[in-house]
Amino acid sequence: MGTPLLRVEDVGKNFGGLSALSNITFDIGDDEMVGLIGPNGAGKSTLIRIITSVLKPTYGTVKFKSRDITGLPISDIVNMGIASTAQIVKPFRRLPVISNAMVSCLCPRIRRTGDWVKSVELRARDALEFCGIADLALESASVLSHGDLKRLELARAIATEPELLLLDEPFGGLNQAETTLIAKSLRRLHKGGRFGRLHSEGPSMLIVEHKLADLMKIVDRVIVIDLGRIIAVGTPEEIVRNREVVKAYIGKEEGQLVS
Amino acid sequence: MINYFRLWYRYFQVEVLSIPSRVIALIFFIVIGALPFFTQSPQVLRILILAGIYAIYAVSWDLLAGHTGQISLGHGLFFAVTGYIAALLNLHLGFGPWLTIPIGALCAVVVGLIVGIPALRLRGFYLALVTLAFPIILTGIIFIYPDFTGGELGLFGISRLSPSRLTDTYIVYVVMLFSVFIMYKLTDATSKFVRTGLVFQAIREDEISARKSGINTVKYKLLAYSVSAFFAGIAGGMYAHFLKIMGPSTLELTFSFQAVLWAIFGGMGTIYGAVVGVYTLFPFMEVLRFFPLGDEIRGVLFASVLIIILLFMPEGIGVWVRDKIEITCPRCKEINIARRKRCRICNAQLRLDDQSS
Ligand SMILES: Nc1ncnc2c1ncn2[C@@H]1O[C@H](COP(=O)(O)OP(=O)(O)O)[C@@H](O)[C@H]1O
Ligand SMILES: [Mg+2]
Repeated sequence: MGTPLLRVEDVGKNFGGLSALSNITFDIGDDEMVGLIGPNGAGKSTLIRIITSVLKPTYGTVKFKSRDITGLPISDIVNMGIASTAQIVKPFRRLPVISNAMVSCLCPRIRRTGDWVKSVELRARDALEFCGIADLALESASVLSHGDLKRLELARAIATEPELLLLDEPFGGLNQAETTLIAKSLRRLHKGGRFGRLHSEGPSMLIVEHKLADLMKIVDRVIVIDLGRIIAVGTPEEIVRNREVVKAYIGKEEGQLVS
Repeated sequence: MINYFRLWYRYFQVEVLSIPSRVIALIFFIVIGALPFFTQSPQVLRILILAGIYAIYAVSWDLLAGHTGQISLGHGLFFAVTGYIAALLNLHLGFGPWLTIPIGALCAVVVGLIVGIPALRLRGFYLALVTLAFPIILTGIIFIYPDFTGGELGLFGISRLSPSRLTDTYIVYVVMLFSVFIMYKLTDATSKFVRTGLVFQAIREDEISARKSGINTVKYKLLAYSVSAFFAGIAGGMYAHFLKIMGPSTLELTFSFQAVLWAIFGGMGTIYGAVVGVYTLFPFMEVLRFFPLGDEIRGVLFASVLIIILLFMPEGIGVWVRDKIEITCPRCKEINIARRKRCRICNAQLRLDDQSS
């Protein structure tokens, strides 16, 4: 096996006295969809924020394509090909939805691809289309529902045409039908191809999600963390049967993780 | 040729004549430009010149604070730096205003970058506090070397902008038009050719999100500081050459607050708001001077008017007027004259509560 796309090596994070993550080590392969699950407060969001350099780890390194990216500026990391969505949405509130996505199309990574001056609007619109919010393009982001903001967050991330996509609860605020739709779209995005003007190289993904039934359908592998430590890694089938995972989730040994 | 002209007129019709606020802006600038044809009283020209200078100054503040979100409470610094450098170049080396003002403005850009660097790490109140400190530092330097800088009294005998006050008026007028137009374009988030406006506003809305969109916010913030300092500097340089004296009063807190006041009074983050703010408040203040009132009474009067207007027009007088004359189509977001019932572009109903159509 060659070098993995992303390698997280012995990463830990302390907030004051609280140890939010300790000794986290895992890889994400070149063409992989990985689920990251764990109870509330397990440290999932913190882990994503460390990979994208929003937070600095207390110790450990993050490598992307075998290059150490720990502590690089956020924008550099995005331009190398890592895009992410946040659990708590942070749109550009007073700008129209389409402009929100256009900002992502202005980054050097996209500008390198050529005819960007003219295609910024079209590209942004295709990203919105992909996420199913193209009809809201001209509305101000401040009037969107939480589910739509989640999808805008996703649109902004995929507009940078990443090679690695980190999603923090992408299905939050969506109803079942919308969740199924987005889950399918993510699967399609992962296969790669062109979506209008948007080009997808088939990014690897790391997806944090609480809607386990939907998540398990689209990922190849699942990493489970609890109290800042990895407690299990395996295929979705293995994970739903894993005693320890079930215990961490519902507090007792018996029970069904995914109904 | 005729066709070309027609095309140009068509463009003008779409971009200006069909948007009420732009028509008003056009009329406003024509009236300002034509005013000297009717009266050339030195007082009126003086107000026009200073208002033009202050308009550039207030708009430059709005570019930095209103659009990019970098609240600056020491904006007078850039104004004063250029004023002083222009004065010194003029007095010691005999350079004319055509040279001193651009050189001074470039020095202001350097100062802008120096101020911008702490700004990269700070936000909100902390940033505002730090910007407050810079003019104080320069004031200190000026008082330490009074022989060179004129100290408390300032520098005298600067050569005038142009031979007559009338040409002064038009020079300031043209420079003001150009400066405001350039800054308007640089901050226009809807522009298809210059994308800085969109990035500036994205940084104002959420800097981390902008970075997560792959934008190098450091570069853009420093750009905003440079542009803002440059134009504030142009204003400061013209100020020194018009008044022929440059003193430390422009470094006082009140002068930096003037920019904030004008921009907020007209409507922050709109560019035109800052212009409206200057051209309403500044003449109003000057006119108050003609009445034999004490300074205190004048201050109370001025503050009361300010409070009352902002109470009724919290977003600024410019935005308030704009909302009265324009309505944005709920469907296509095109701007319409407020009295229309249906959108001129997509024919959608403009008001939901409107029963008549
Ligand atoms: N900025 C912060 N400061 C202090 N504690 C934090 C911060 N962010 C997260 N934490 C703590 O770290 C732990 C992990 O949080 P988080 O990564 O958000 O969990 P999850 O996303 O798995 O629900 C929690 O106990 C949380 O309170
Ligand atoms: Mg979380």
